[in-house]
Amino acid sequence: MPGFTHLHTVSGFSLRYGASHPERLAERASGRGMDALALTDRDSLAGSVRFAKACAKAGVRPLFGAELAVAAPATPGGDASVRRERRRTPVRGGAFIDESTPRVTFLARDGARGWADLCRLVSAAHTQEGLPLLSWDANHADGLTVLLGPDSDVGRALAAGRPDRAARLLASWREVYGDALRLEAVWHGRKGTGPGSLRLAARTLGFAAEHHVRPVLSNAVRYADPGLGPVADVLDAARRLVPVDPAKGLDSGEAWLKDPGAMLKTAERIVEAAGFRREAAPRLLEQTQATAAECLVDPEDDLGMGSVHFPEPHLVGAGRRTAQRALASRAAAGMVLRGYAGRRKYWERMHHELDIIAHHGFASYFLTVSQVVDDVRDMGIRVAARGSGAGSLVNHLLGIAHADPVEHGLLMERFLSKERVVLPDIDIDVESARRLEVYRAIIGRFGTERVATVAMPETYRVRHAIRDVGAALSMDPAEIDRVAKSFPHIRARDARAALEELPELRELAGEKEKYGRLWELVEALDALPRGIAMHPCGVLLSDASLLTRTPVMPTSGEGFPMAQFDKDDVEDLGLLKLDVLGVRMQSAMAHAVTEVERATGERIDLDAVPEGDPATYGLIRSTETLGCFQIESPGQRDLVGRLQPATFHDLVVDISLFRPGPVAADMVRPFIEARHGRAPVRYPHPDLEEPLKGTYGVVVFHEQVIDIVSIMTGCGRGEADRVRRGLSDPESQGRIKVWFAQHAAARGYDAETIHRTWEIVEAFGSYGFCKAHAVAFAVPTYQSAWLKAHHPAAFYAGLLTHDPGMYPKRLLLADARRRGVPVLPLDVNKSGVAHRIELVSDSSGGKGATWGLRLALSDVHGISEAEAARIAEGQPYASLLDFWERARPSRPLAGRLAQVGALDAFGANRRDLQLHLTELHRGARGGRGDQLPLSGGRSTAPAGLPDLTPSEKLSAELGVLSMDASRHLMDDHGTFLEELGVVSARRLREARHGDTVLVAGAKAATQTPPIRSGKRVIFSTLDDGTGLVDLAFFDDSHDACAHTVFHSWLLLVRGVVQRRGPRSLSVVGSAAWNLADLLEVRREEGLEGVASRLAAAEGSPGGDPGDGPARRRLAGSDGRPAPAGSAARDPMEDRTIRMPTGYEMHPWADLRPAGEGPAVGRKLWHQSPGSAG
Amino acid sequence: MTILCVRFQLPPMYEAALPGLLGLLEEFTPVVQALPPDGALADLRGAERYFGRTALELASVIRVRALALHGVDCVIGAGPGPMLARMALRDARPGLTRAVAEDEVREFLVDKPVVALPGVGTRTARTLCEYGLDTLGRVAAAPLSTLQRLVGARAGRELHEKANGVDRGRVVPNAVSRSLATERPFTRDELDPGRHRRALLSAAGELGARLRALDKVCRSLTLTVRYADIPHSRLRSSGGTPIATTRTRTLAEPTAHSAALTEAAYGLYEALGLQRARVRAIALRAEGLDPAERASHQLTFDPVDEKVRRLEEVADRARAKFGPRAVMPGSLAA
Repeated sequence: MPGFTHLHTVSGFSLRYGASHPERLAERASGRGMDALALTDRDSLAGSVRFAKACAKAGVRPLFGAELAVAAPATPGGDASVRRERRRTPVRGGAFIDESTPRVTFLARDGARGWADLCRLVSAAHTQEGLPLLSWDANHADGLTVLLGPDSDVGRALAAGRPDRAARLLASWREVYGDALRLEAVWHGRKGTGPGSLRLAARTLGFAAEHHVRPVLSNAVRYADPGLGPVADVLDAARRLVPVDPAKGLDSGEAWLKDPGAMLKTAERIVEAAGFRREAAPRLLEQTQATAAECLVDPEDDLGMGSVHFPEPHLVGAGRRTAQRALASRAAAGMVLRGYAGRRKYWERMHHELDIIAHHGFASYFLTVSQVVDDVRDMGIRVAARGSGAGSLVNHLLGIAHADPVEHGLLMERFLSKERVVLPDIDIDVESARRLEVYRAIIGRFGTERVATVAMPETYRVRHAIRDVGAALSMDPAEIDRVAKSFPHIRARDARAALEELPELRELAGEKEKYGRLWELVEALDALPRGIAMHPCGVLLSDASLLTRTPVMPTSGEGFPMAQFDKDDVEDLGLLKLDVLGVRMQSAMAHAVTEVERATGERIDLDAVPEGDPATYGLIRSTETLGCFQIESPGQRDLVGRLQPATFHDLVVDISLFRPGPVAADMVRPFIEARHGRAPVRYPHPDLEEPLKGTYGVVVFHEQVIDIVSIMTGCGRGEADRVRRGLSDPESQGRIKVWFAQHAAARGYDAETIHRTWEIVEAFGSYGFCKAHAVAFAVPTYQSAWLKAHHPAAFYAGLLTHDPGMYPKRLLLADARRRGVPVLPLDVNKSGVAHRIELVSDSSGGKGATWGLRLALSDVHGISEAEAARIAEGQPYASLLDFWERARPSRPLAGRLAQVGALDAFGANRRDLQLHLTELHRGARGGRGDQLPLSGGRSTAPAGLPDLTPSEKLSAELGVLSMDASRHLMDDHGTFLEELGVVSARRLREARHGDTVLVAGAKAATQTPPIRSGKRVIFSTLDDGTGLVDLAFFDDSHDACAHTVFHSWLLLVRGVVQRRGPRSLSVVGSAAWNLADLLEVRREEGLEGVASRLAAAEGSPGGDPGDGPARRRLAGSDGRPAPAGSAARDPMEDRTIRMPTGYEMHPWADLRPAGEGPAVGRKLWHQSPGSAG
Repeated sequence: MTILCVRFQLPPMYEAALPGLLGLLEEFTPVVQALPPDGALADLRGAERYFGRTALELASVIRVRALALHGVDCVIGAGPGPMLARMALRDARPGLTRAVAEDEVREFLVDKPVVALPGVGTRTARTLCEYGLDTLGRVAAAPLSTLQRLVGARAGRELHEKANGVDRGRVVPNAVSRSLATERPFTRDELDPGRHRRALLSAAGELGARLRALDKVCRSLTLTVRYADIPHSRLRSSGGTPIATTRTRTLAEPTAHSAALTEAAYGLYEALGLQRARVRAIALRAEGLDPAERASHQLTFDPVDEKVRRLEEVADRARAKFGPRAVMPGSLAA
């Protein structure tokens, strides 16, 4: 029996079309006895790299291709009869998605040339407006094989019973592709003559024989396994934005990756139906095999995996010299400029580094990055390097990295060494608000043929899957919304398991049956890409051959060129990626500095603020670090409280300690004990004192491990770094242990020392933290804390404008109030587009002056940039009419401004103002002129409407500004809280360890981070106006509390105080109530009603709080969370107890993709507070 | 408190029993206004003296008789005017007639939400609540001119009077229902224009038949298409009113002719140009009902029109004899 190769196969990277992942397809192809498999995604090559890797793993030869919509060749005179009349614009629901363009499959045939052609065609298809479409003019290539299938124009003509027309169309294809043309027969068991029907397949075969074009057989695969037809239907529905309609024809269920035997049977049926003898069937399969055999594209050689392309030297300021020469001279110039010229150590280090760079030939890379940084700095944008690149002196000399690596003990080897053959990686942080400007500058500098942004596929997770499947199944939208929002952001494949297990979903699980097939389909969509977006920070830089190696499409918003590959693919392809991260904190600090200069004329150079400022460290030690970079999360506030940093180095250590690695290796407690002199400082061996001195004998940094290994074995730092990287892999760890023991023994260390040292190194694993990162992080940390200590109003103005933190804005505002910064209400005559500072009281000129924070127009819900700018430009306004006429706000916007008191200056109460605005609006529309009932010229006449009550005002502020601007929202409930005996956050500081207390407040942040113990812990922060209360709920309280905690905004919690230091405490919750409900009960039924409500709740399980030792033990030890993920968002605590080494993540730990920029996850968080809210 | 507002607790789909129950009320007073599908207003001003009982006592008599004769319970509200009687009805329960006396009108009204006032729809109520006028007490306290600025001159004046307890309405005997409506829901989100048109055809046919049965003609036709979508702003609160599109067209001449109604309905539908809209229901309403004998009809030389009308007449008779599904358009029979 002849073999068979599927030449037409799509994966999930055909957005909302293919139902299987490329990995699954490769696996199945191998499992079903096929030697090769083609991936021909729709309009995309995004799956190619994963597919190539999966194929290598499965032992299948990959073929690369794409399926593109091709426009018809322009016929002279035009085809007027076909032109359809324009349809009426629908009043509702939008027009149908037009997918009528014929589609053709292209396969890369001739190695690199084929791949380049494929890239070019895919890129060309994306240059059109609207859906991707390849114009006929761009439709030519030498290295491609073309399959004309049932969906091509030829196939359609055949389906319509017009072989004459098909012949005419075929001629124009032949003109372009000649012998590389194939006719593709597909049989999906459908009736009639349409695509997938036996008659069309037979006609195709007959037509091919008649016109001497070679036929091939394919199955137009959409999914790997049988039975996935309904999933394909859901995807079709999600793509076309219509519900699944059984009357309109469903997927045949046949488009799976059939084995060669089944395909032979298919071939026999088709051949017979075409009127040939049965023996022709193997010939059809042979033709298919022959076509597959011609398509030879090697992933390594032809896709360019493993080779590197830098921008040409003349573009990065090397002139006609070589890049290495240019780099060396610029580094030397940097030595002189920075005043290191007289220091031998620096010269040696520089030459050493230049050697390594020359060894790899990476000089252009350094020049490129330096060029980008210079350009950014020239634009007046704050820029800082982060990552291991900060460990290179050359980077420092070129002005890329801020901190001096020699002074901070940072190693080049952690970044780049002769032993390591990977692309170096320098990340630069810029102001988030101006990130796109930076992109434009980079593209402008190097040109679109060398620069592209990186793609980021958005994949289905449970909420989106429920929304799309629900819409496809015609579920009620309100119902879909409710079901989707009940889920935390988990993987779609866990939907049913989550229903079984999660306490907060119990109610939904009860009605599970009602939704029928929903759950099954939701799980089937798991992790399929549903859209493609621009990666928030990656930029590809290459030489002019970029476009022959990667397909590029424009991004939806800004129209930047974007490679279809994601960041991992790009690395595999050897494309040089520069990470340009937009950091909101940099924007916030820039705004604060500008505000200070605008208001006072004082220029602050943040990069030159004095080291070791006592006020700044005082602030940090007080743990009131809300809004400060990196140290504002509950866990970090706790750690800072215990660590009590006093120097920059302490900050570096603090940031490094707050990682999974140091916590797992039990480094936090010994470090703190030793630091406060409660435990002696120990070294495994006196030789190791040098690297470990700074951290009291505790290993915190990668650099220290490198030094330890290098000292103990004498292998050199480059090799030591390779060893360090090997530690994360258990297999190589065993080998390293033996190697380490041998070499250390050879250097004369005794067995005991070797054993102890190895224990430290092993526990360190690969977790620890790169000191270069930590130093780079600590700089903005210190700068932001300095701003908070010295220019609080401007600091808050920056924070509120750029929203960099993990907390909602209203919490920052509460913090500002607590720290004595007057919050000035919104006023159309005074507020700017962004938050500003204003002089409130000027005592003794300058010194001691109080600056207030004026809220910004941009925070008003639904205001457009243009409107905000117009209002700010027209200031001041004399009257309401003046404001209405000159600022021209939209009616709803004006109403909102009136509600929050921004128009109070014009007289009358807020409701009267609303009425006037409505009339002005009506007048403008009806053309009744400007009959405005004004009294006394300027101020607006009262209309006798009741004014907003204080609570209505507060609710308007929350609704319009998302902030309680005039006062704290808990202030109104003081009486009730006093009745309950609730402890305020301020008084909680005096509470003793083990006390049972009631706390209440507005929920500020809720997380269920991955916990090393494998348990799920819910962390939440409450804000009650006097401060923050950090809460933890362990899994024995979830049955009773989880739902309430996730779905309420105001919480009343009973719990036990856990105290771990003078400034560090949290409350372990055992019962939670929705405070808003209780307040309503109190209002309507009095205290008795509240009592009966509490009595009812107490009946449910998990009620009793203080039930003693079991819970305390659990709280104190077992459920100890460990931080994970990026530096920015480690929300958890770090009590230090031994834990299992295996990193077993709780399936329900609410993990979002780690996301490079801190801004990404935070923004997300802000949009949907809480995990299931 | 001489006006009664009665709501019979009819099981659904038994509107046919209403005329009999109205007859029961008419034994007490000739001034009875039907509030279909299940209610009525009765003015007992003359009856009190005639029967020598107060309105409240009469209310009990009415309830007993309705139960005894028809086996139907009823709820009764009583007040000095129709508006107050209606509002009183909302507070009443079977066996407990809520009566509002002349002198307690103000207290009765002061805490009621504005939407409780007959004639205040959701839209007016929303406008009033936006301006803090959420109870009738506050509405009553607001200056008349302000109310008029809010909801318009006439509506403002009426609102002001009503909120102050001035009830100028009266019971109008034999007030006819002025419109007929029918709705065709779909079991799933329906996008297919073919099925939309079938729903329109069947709805227009039904309206025509009902109009002809009543000997009425209608002057205009209103199409309401209800969608599955929910306004985004309301997704957050529990539920939300689905979005709908409503279009009205005045017919060339008043008619009850099914074919003419169908054509008008198709015209309305085509004008929407729907493509991807997820339609959940299509409703048709015939408005401006007049007696058929007052309608004029433009004769044409085309014999088809004449034939269709005569066919319709025959079909009506066949339906009267063999049931509503005896004769129907072929496209609906499938």
